[in-house]
Amino acid sequence: MLSSLQNPRQAAAQLLNFALILSTAFMMWKGFSVAANSPSPIVVVLSGSMEPAFQRGDLLFLWNRNFLAETDVGEVVVYNVRDKDIPIVHRVVRKFGTGDKAQLLTKGDNNLADDTELYAKGQDYLERKDIIGSVVGYIPFVGYVTIMLSEHPWLKTAMLGIMGLLVVLQRE
Amino acid sequence: MYNSLTRIQNVFGFFTTVAFVVAAIIAASDFTSPRTPSATIKTTNVQVVKGRPHYYSTKKEEYAIIKFSLDADLSSLFTWNTKQLFVYITAEWPAPPVGDSMNQTNKAVIWDSIITSPSADYLSNLGPATLKKLKRSAEGKSIDPSRGKLSFKNQKPKYQISHPTGKIAETDDVTLHVHYNVQPWVGMLTWNQNFDFGRWKKMGQGISKAFELPAIKKKDAEKSK
Repeated sequence: MLSSLQNPRQAAAQLLNFALILSTAFMMWKGFSVAANSPSPIVVVLSGSMEPAFQRGDLLFLWNRNFLAETDVGEVVVYNVRDKDIPIVHRVVRKFGTGDKAQLLTKGDNNLADDTELYAKGQDYLERKDIIGSVVGYIPFVGYVTIMLSEHPWLKTAMLGIMGLLVVLQRE
Repeated sequence: MYNSLTRIQNVFGFFTTVAFVVAAIIAASDFTSPRTPSATIKTTNVQVVKGRPHYYSTKKEEYAIIKFSLDADLSSLFTWNTKQLFVYITAEWPAPPVGDSMNQTNKAVIWDSIITSPSADYLSNLGPATLKKLKRSAEGKSIDPSRGKLSFKNQKPKYQISHPTGKIAETDDVTLHVHYNVQPWVGMLTWNQNFDFGRWKKMGQGISKAFELPAIKKKDAEKSK
């Protein structure tokens, strides 16, 4: 045990390896972000308001560029309500006007009413700049890990502990 | 090198690789199944009434109630990777130009429907009796293309549409458009196209004749006074 600590060269290699894994993941995330022009190009569904299309824990890929067409009615978009930082995944159901100043109204497929109640006070419609991306790709269930981690904080501690232990114990 | 930990790591790594490759193949298989959607839609009755956006509001707005008849064949959209089909009908009409940008349009959904694939029936948000009926309608089938055949006569809209200005009566050049959105089990979300793409044909018709929203209905106007 702790043999790696007696061999500084191996310890350094392990540390570098770990740093490489972390930075690769970070670079991929930022790379996606630049490609999709979205601050968070991959999101995990947190609520059931779009069921049966999306369940909690499903992974969504976003695209925030308008190469061919404007963000339109029928698209499923992720938006942030003004002054709040909770991304919401809902479908655009009304669009008045065209361009950046178009007024958009959204609604969850599984909700009876539209999102007027969810918006900030005095905000009746969304604008294009409130939207951080349209959903283009879908993988079910994969993101459930993150929901588990945020709902049961002890899991985070446990995971970090196990990972740390592995790094120390791992030989070769 | 060959302790149990690295073995677990290898097995898990192999499992995720295989899972992602299989998912990618399933997603790509969408492109191999032909899509030949078509729809005909026409309006049957158009009314404009005055109303309030919600019960406690004092604001009066004009609402258009557009009844329609729809015949659609979207059965080719149901494949083994289809989780649900979201069908929606929009009303579209031109808006006055803003600044130097012409060709402004307004679009609003007047009716929509979620059609689940039999394999996704258990996820739908329905009452127990309706759900049972839905499940029985496709007993033993994992794909049921007949669900893509829609036929409505003089259907009431789900949403009564208004405009931010509160005025919508006597709007000219309104058309109804049928759209769909295919939600896969895994892969890309797809919508109706305006052009042929490989084996996917563009939507056949699916646009109504242009019509005009009438003036506010007299009787309702008097009632609301």
